[in-house]
Amino acid sequence: MNLSLLVWGDAGWGDELFYGALMTIAVATASYLLGILFGIGFAAMKLSRHTFLHLIADIYTTVIRGIPELLIIYLVFFSGGNLLRAIAKGLFGYGEFIDLPIFITGMLCIGLSAGAYATEVIRGAVLAVPVGQIEAARAIGMSKSKRFYRILVPQVARYALPGLGNVWQLTLKETSLISVIGLVEIMRQASIGSGSTKEPFTFYFAALLLYLILTSFSNRGFLWAEVRANRGVREVS
Amino acid sequence: MKKLALITTAIFFAVAGQAIASSDKIRIATEGAYAPWNYKDSAGNLIGFEIDLAKDLCQRMKVECTIVEQAWDGIIPALQAGKYDAIMAGMSITDKRKKIISFSRAYASTPAKFVVLKSSPNSSFKTMESDINLTEISDGEKASIGELVSKFKGKTVGVQVATTHLNFLNEYMGKDVNIKIYDTQENLDLDLQAGRVDAALASMSYWAPLLKGDKGKDMTAVGPNLTGGPFGAGVGVGIRQKDEKIVAMFTKAINESIAAGVASKLAIKHFGFDASVK
Repeated sequence: MNLSLLVWGDAGWGDELFYGALMTIAVATASYLLGILFGIGFAAMKLSRHTFLHLIADIYTTVIRGIPELLIIYLVFFSGGNLLRAIAKGLFGYGEFIDLPIFITGMLCIGLSAGAYATEVIRGAVLAVPVGQIEAARAIGMSKSKRFYRILVPQVARYALPGLGNVWQLTLKETSLISVIGLVEIMRQASIGSGSTKEPFTFYFAALLLYLILTSFSNRGFLWAEVRANRGVREVS
Repeated sequence: MKKLALITTAIFFAVAGQAIASSDKIRIATEGAYAPWNYKDSAGNLIGFEIDLAKDLCQRMKVECTIVEQAWDGIIPALQAGKYDAIMAGMSITDKRKKIISFSRAYASTPAKFVVLKSSPNSSFKTMESDINLTEISDGEKASIGELVSKFKGKTVGVQVATTHLNFLNEYMGKDVNIKIYDTQENLDLDLQAGRVDAALASMSYWAPLLKGDKGKDMTAVGPNLTGGPFGAGVGVGIRQKDEKIVAMFTKAINESIAAGVASKLAIKHFGFDASVK
């Protein structure tokens, strides 16, 4: 363990690791938001009466949750550029080299995976809202949108929050997999540092601390959000 | 709609004219985490032997180069996917890799070298040819191998088990020296210091830092730099098989850089010994 390697500035790796952590936060947040969007969309499809939509959403969650995240990353990274170039060439006749930026690639991959888990969480939360409440809202003449915003959303948020908190933790940790395609986040920065200085322990230990700081802070955030969402609910004592 | 089709076709032909892969721009991938070949300083800049060499080669090829960072996992698939045109990442030329990508000629190889105690009578032993490439042996190199064999005739040479160095000893000196095989290099070093073996053979990448440090203060490297043959073909630039032109460009530039002494100067700067391949 050589702490002098971790000082700030050009003499040490502290600033590099810090920017790596910022990149981890950026890519995790972007992927998570994308995942929530996917989750809402696919949960709606799963709950819809159309068998076709249902089927598509089923395939999505089954496939994505059933294959390793690393495989998704490799598939998108190695074939995404080719696909993009084929489209560019076929549609626009553009033959120069183009590629998705690795941030976008990483965000798509992690977002796809987070979305599959979020789908199940949100679907479960919607199902947890008693049907009687929707029926009651309808009975007093609430419009469809009012039923959605006033009755469904607040309760779904409450039921979904603990599960979505877990999805966030997963997302945060899965971003480390993007290091294999060269996005310089915590993990990649740690491996660059250890390879360049031959001090693996220092760098991987620093990475460990950074991940722990990120996860424990975000844990608190989710706890706070859960308390807030449960304001109107009396606990069973 | 017709107008749109016309415009698209016009753009298509305008761009298609330039669509042939231009070889005046080359993207080179490196790992950035493999000191001293390619790595980063604490300010985040890519540095190392291959970074310096790539700059020199690109000048010689008169092309504009960009150096791309790519993690070692998947460095070959990403080459195949067209994310860059060449790999310079301490990648050894092997038959297995040659099945999927092409290589330029080797630009570096960490030679094998004998080490003896400074107190030994052979401590200043040098052969006529200081570099011996065992893949294609010239007459001068053949004579130098003869010198080497006769110098250590009847002596005990230590080597680590299951290494290319052991293969070399068996193949070239097996009849003339006593080969003593060790499970670890450290045990071999201890026995060399204790005088149980007269010389030890290992890679210069192992010896260089050892000889500089306290542990190696009584030892010295002697004899020729051995490369090629049983030691493998060295490290080269990995390139897509269909880009024969780029392979030829790199090979030519490496030849020039080595002839001008730049490659060996860079190697000495980064490795502490001449790891360039003659």
